[in-house]
Amino acid sequence: MKQKALEQRPLQITRLTADEVKSMYEKHGAALAAYACSCGLDHASAEDVVQQLFLKMLGKKAFIPQAPLAYLYRATRNASLNLRRDRRRETNLRDTESWFTHPSGNQDEILHLQQALKELPEEQRETVFLKVWSGMTLLEISEVTETPLNTVASRYRYALEKLRDRLGEHVQKRG
Amino acid sequence: MGPHDEETERYLKEFQPQAIRELQVAPLPRTISWRRLAAAAAVAACVGGIFWFSRRESTRWIRGTNTKAPTVIVVSEPPHPSILALTTLALQDKKKFDALLDEESRKSLPRFQEEHSALKVLAKD
Repeated sequence: MKQKALEQRPLQITRLTADEVKSMYEKHGAALAAYACSCGLDHASAEDVVQQLFLKMLGKKAFIPQAPLAYLYRATRNASLNLRRDRRRETNLRDTESWFTHPSGNQDEILHLQQALKELPEEQRETVFLKVWSGMTLLEISEVTETPLNTVASRYRYALEKLRDRLGEHVQKRG
Repeated sequence: MGPHDEETERYLKEFQPQAIRELQVAPLPRTISWRRLAAAAAVAACVGGIFWFSRRESTRWIRGTNTKAPTVIVVSEPPHPSILALTTLALQDKKKFDALLDEESRKSLPRFQEEHSALKVLAKD
């Protein structure tokens, strides 16, 4: 309940308390790190990026986001892209690293999903992360991303279609 | 959402993002607040300026008083006539001698006739 209120803060939001920031980290930190990985980082760097962002929010001169979760996703993406640009000459071992876990432990399936997510357009990928792994409704996503609900719904539907095309055999096996 | 979409969503939810390490909140290093530093510098400059100005003014005042102090004009009194000269005068011209004594006494003795003279009261008695 409190978490919902936090994510749907009105525009006249005041400063986030340390407890609120920590609570957001516990709930969304892992999804944000996975999102950073989908932007091209290895998992350790993604963790660093997410940690840095939350620590900045805890700092004295914390930015006061109007929609903290949307801000975090955007900031994660920007930081990840900057870091990736800085490290583009480093050896790329990221493709075999998993940033998700699955009860079956099937590494191949995980890597398939990761690759499919990477291939999604930016907005669609963000929508999938917000909906599936940050647990937001489409209405909440439209509010935090300041995007019309129909656009958000379309992005999500297109994203699911593409993922289904890419992961069809695995999805159907489950179905 | 169609049934296919729901199926895909259910499938995606089977995956969980890798757990990440706890948020390591280290005590923040004391950073210099430039605003505070600037404010402190401004206050110091004001205090220093006031101090300097007050010192300068007081020094100038002292110098001013020194320069403006009335110069002491030493008016040399005409030398008193010597005893020999007085004796000679007394022998030669008694009137002049008396006049000279009157003049000398007026200079050296307190004056009883002045309006605010304390001695005037005594003189009356």
